[in-house]
Amino acid sequence: MNLFLILLFPLIGFTINGFIHLKSAKSGAKASAKQTGVIATLAMFASFFVSAFYYLQFSGMAESSRLIEQSLFTWMNLGSFNVDFALRLDSLSLLFTLVITGVGSLIHLYSIGYMSEDESPARYFAYLNLFCFMMLNLVLGATMPHVFLGWEGVGLASYLLIGYWHQDVEKVGAGQKAFVMNRIGDLGFLIAMFITYKYVGSLDLMVLQKATLNPAIAATIGFLIFFACTGKSAQIPLFTWLPDAMAGPTPVSALIHAATMVTSGIYLLNRISPLLLQSPEVMSVIAMVGVTTAFVSAIIGCAQKDIKKILAYSTVSQLGFMFLACGVGAFDAGVFHVMTHAFFKALMFLGAGSVIHALHHEQNVFKMGGLRKKLPITTFTFVMGWAAILGLPPFSGFFSKDEIIIQSLHSPHGNQILFIMALASALLTAFYMTRLLVLVFFSPSRMEKETEEHVHESPLTMTIPLIVLAILSLVGGFMHHSEGGHQDSINIIIASVVVALVGAAFGFFRYRKFDKEEITNAFVEQGLGFDVFYNKFFGNGVPALAKGVSKWVEELFVQNTIRFCSWMVQFSGNVLKSFQVGSMQAYLLMMVVLGLVLLIWVLQSMMQGVFFYGK
Amino acid sequence: MMLVVSCTVFLIGLMGVIFRKNLLIVLMSVELMLNAVNLSFVTFSKMHNSLDGQIAVLFVMTVAAAESAVGLGLVIALFRTLKTADSDQIQMLRD
Amino acid sequence: MENSQQLTAMLIWPVLGSLIAWFVPKASQRPYALFISAVQAALALYIVAPVIQGGSTLQQNLPWISDLGIQLNLKLDVVSAWFVLLSGVVSFVVLGMKGQWFRRNARLYTSMAFFLVFAINTAFLSSNLIVFYLAYEAVFIPMILMVGIWGSSTKATAVFRFFLMSFLGSILMLVSIFYLSYFHFTKTGAFSANLDDILKLDLVGNPAMPWCFAGFFLAFAIKVPLFPFHGWLKEVYVNAPTPATIWMSAILSKLGVYGFIRFVGPLFPETILAVQGALLAVAAFTVIYSAFLAIQAKDPKALLAYSSISHLGFVMLGVFTLGKAGRTSAIVLSVSHGLTSAILFYLYHLVTERKEDVSLDSYSGLSKKYPVLFVCLFFAVLSSVSLPGTFNFVGEFMVLMSAYPVSALCTILAGIGVIFGAVYMLRFYQRLGFGPTADGETAGDIAGFDLVVVILILAMVIYFGFQPAIFFGGMNNV
Repeated sequence: MNLFLILLFPLIGFTINGFIHLKSAKSGAKASAKQTGVIATLAMFASFFVSAFYYLQFSGMAESSRLIEQSLFTWMNLGSFNVDFALRLDSLSLLFTLVITGVGSLIHLYSIGYMSEDESPARYFAYLNLFCFMMLNLVLGATMPHVFLGWEGVGLASYLLIGYWHQDVEKVGAGQKAFVMNRIGDLGFLIAMFITYKYVGSLDLMVLQKATLNPAIAATIGFLIFFACTGKSAQIPLFTWLPDAMAGPTPVSALIHAATMVTSGIYLLNRISPLLLQSPEVMSVIAMVGVTTAFVSAIIGCAQKDIKKILAYSTVSQLGFMFLACGVGAFDAGVFHVMTHAFFKALMFLGAGSVIHALHHEQNVFKMGGLRKKLPITTFTFVMGWAAILGLPPFSGFFSKDEIIIQSLHSPHGNQILFIMALASALLTAFYMTRLLVLVFFSPSRMEKETEEHVHESPLTMTIPLIVLAILSLVGGFMHHSEGGHQDSINIIIASVVVALVGAAFGFFRYRKFDKEEITNAFVEQGLGFDVFYNKFFGNGVPALAKGVSKWVEELFVQNTIRFCSWMVQFSGNVLKSFQVGSMQAYLLMMVVLGLVLLIWVLQSMMQGVFFYGK
Repeated sequence: MMLVVSCTVFLIGLMGVIFRKNLLIVLMSVELMLNAVNLSFVTFSKMHNSLDGQIAVLFVMTVAAAESAVGLGLVIALFRTLKTADSDQIQMLRD
Repeated sequence: MENSQQLTAMLIWPVLGSLIAWFVPKASQRPYALFISAVQAALALYIVAPVIQGGSTLQQNLPWISDLGIQLNLKLDVVSAWFVLLSGVVSFVVLGMKGQWFRRNARLYTSMAFFLVFAINTAFLSSNLIVFYLAYEAVFIPMILMVGIWGSSTKATAVFRFFLMSFLGSILMLVSIFYLSYFHFTKTGAFSANLDDILKLDLVGNPAMPWCFAGFFLAFAIKVPLFPFHGWLKEVYVNAPTPATIWMSAILSKLGVYGFIRFVGPLFPETILAVQGALLAVAAFTVIYSAFLAIQAKDPKALLAYSSISHLGFVMLGVFTLGKAGRTSAIVLSVSHGLTSAILFYLYHLVTERKEDVSLDSYSGLSKKYPVLFVCLFFAVLSSVSLPGTFNFVGEFMVLMSAYPVSALCTILAGIGVIFGAVYMLRFYQRLGFGPTADGETAGDIAGFDLVVVILILAMVIYFGFQPAIFFGGMNNV
């Protein structure tokens, strides 16, 4: 079995669908969603089976020897600098690979139904396959540039998919925002690579893991990579792109902006965990940023009205939990939460997609309600996801989230502040998720009559993934052996479950009978001013600065210098032109006068004996 | 003595070329300058007892004849097109 | 070092092409131009290939005005090889472009094009400074004619400034060259402007060297261009017909880069080391500064022009590291920038051909009408924003990598330019391709020769993005 096969299938899918799209776009005929979707889904399933094969192979091996490497070709090679295009599979990347291909396949399958009426499904599926290809590069790459290839590649795919409906300028703008904000983070990655090469002498991730570095340098590299992760994983300060990214089709939000791409930050932090452990300062920064993000976005989430935005802020919040886990040194717990989160958040997004599909692209939760009877499967699976994100036992979120909360207090890097903020975020999460659930499925209907009549349960291709993910959300927690043996762990677990129930109860009773639109605080709804600030500062600032540069430096200085040069040339020309009077006799006079001057000068020089060397 | 005369004549010719307006007089002044040069040639030839100077004079006279013929022709042609022989009116060297 | 007769063939063939063009009927000028340039490209490949693979050097000396030290000293080594090959390929691409230049004064166009190829090749091959200077100046003749005859309406100022700035710089270079040649005379008793001869002299500590450096620097800094010598560029690029724009951005700017690598570096090691910090800062600043200009540009062609300056800032950053790694990466980036910018201008020309209106705001949603064209354009844009997996990424990454140990600050500054690159290039693409599509007739998607050439170049851009080893291989051998 060849590791490259995992990458190859999505690549093939991308190529085939890409050509189908071009062909249909040229001829004007619409490509069939079923046909292109099946190609893309099969590619993902094939990739999943290869990964599953490796899973079986790994489970038969001793834990320390679970490592497969495969070098494909030499990429960049200059003097002592050598980067191979190599794949490396270990337990960490295998877990991510399984999530990407597994959840990815389900979402591809779901998309067949969701995109059935779209204009250019081939393009959609090509992008989706491209995304998976790049994401797999990210987790399988053995060297930093290779990871960076995936890192920027998923950014590209995300850009394309957010702006998938590119006739709408706003959606394209959201895509661009995501791409540019990610690139700001990517600069950190780039510089981290330069520093790594300077001090480690290799860009191989394994070498970096084992390197013993000067603490200051380890901290710098760690911090820069963390900065890159805040971009990709939507943490403070670079998180505002994710809610906007909801402009893309809903399955895309489920796959890219919930289950896989946004968790790549956690992957990378895990990869360099030995390095991070060398610098406690960076660890505490990561933990603080993580928990602050979790808390802040949970607050913002409480004031959202768009079903997808609520889920988006919830994703940011959950990612904050994962960063908290990494920051307190509980890397395993972080990765575990990546997996369970992939299950339940993908489930909830797909459920939301099912609702949106049924309501013909209505996304405001205050214009829904009472969908429980019309969408039984969606409702049932959504409740499973809700239970999982709240952390109710025995759902998967219970295991992963509680472990993070325990570790935030008990790990050597943890402290009370982190613990209390984590609990508070859990409380808020329970509140707004219940708010969402109740408003959409259980409260009295606030839909318009006409919409209400057309509501129907989604087709089988959409409900099967929902059911599978619901099962995974239920049992996913048992795939991991928790080592938590601390004496008051049980108290913390009880506390967190109680907190979740309190939040849920509050949400339930507040929104159970809601029949009008809630008036939320506009400041909170717009993201606590982050977005406004960025828009003012960067969105307007950079173009203004560019205009200023062009006006004051370019026009005033550079262009005027040139104008001055050309003016000088013309001026001197004009001055000299005035000697050209046209009268032959005037020229003659000038000639004679100048000749006399010259003659006198020469004679004078001769007398002083300097004209000829000899005298 | 003869050199002083030749110098004076040459300068008179030069002034004539530069300051006289009529092209015919300008041409005559050119002849005057040439003849001043011829005079100094002959003088020098006498002083140095060599014939080189006198040969040069013959050359100069030949060329002067040819030159005045061409010059006159040009002046007439100019007069025909511009209806004037005043050098101030002829500024075709400009532009 | 081998003595090779092949090098003169590189010069004679375009001269023949230029002359015979006058006898070819107007209608068949384009096939004729394509044929000549294809042979030229093939010839370049044939001659260059062993040099690139083996790292050997070809040489050929022909006497000319030997008393004054002016000889045809042709020399092809790994450094010049890539530039020669690039100019061969780009010339082929450019001459395939259909447009008004083949309708109006077609003979003059073809003839001038090959004269340009001749001058470029001479400049890249000559190691005699005076011959280099002559070729360097000769490039102006076809360039100015092209902008003047086939350029857009406001071309007069553009041509004048172009000439003025370039001439101002290179005349000082000529003075420096004369000095060097004269210096050779005072030391050995014979004039020589051959680089190899001059390098044998002991130039270290000579007080005139900083002045000579200034002369060379000005000439090449204007050509590349570096901030603040870029003022001429926008007007010229925008007003020039697209073939001339491609030639300028893909190859003529590389004359400046090449000049820095080939002449300035070896001749003035002392001076350049003394001002290295300032040079790196200027290069990094050029990246950021022109990115800002690109962000606010209204005319797409001006945007591409500024983006071209920005990338050349990266190239110069690599050159000014003064290390081998930086220099090699700079050459790699030069080639990739040549291909990328050529293809960007080419595709933009194809867009304007279909919709003749030149403001970013007047385009919208064209990707729906011309899907294949815009897919190609998107790949070109990706290469321009140096996404990993494209050739530009390899170049920019290696440049920054080798610049980091020399100056971390300048590297970070230039790195910020990468972010801005994404901002303006995406804006460029989005304004053209995305947004509501206006109804109306379509002029037909990209097809035929255009499509073949574009795909060929894009394939190269992506292939070398993963397999750039051939670039580094030959240079590792040196």
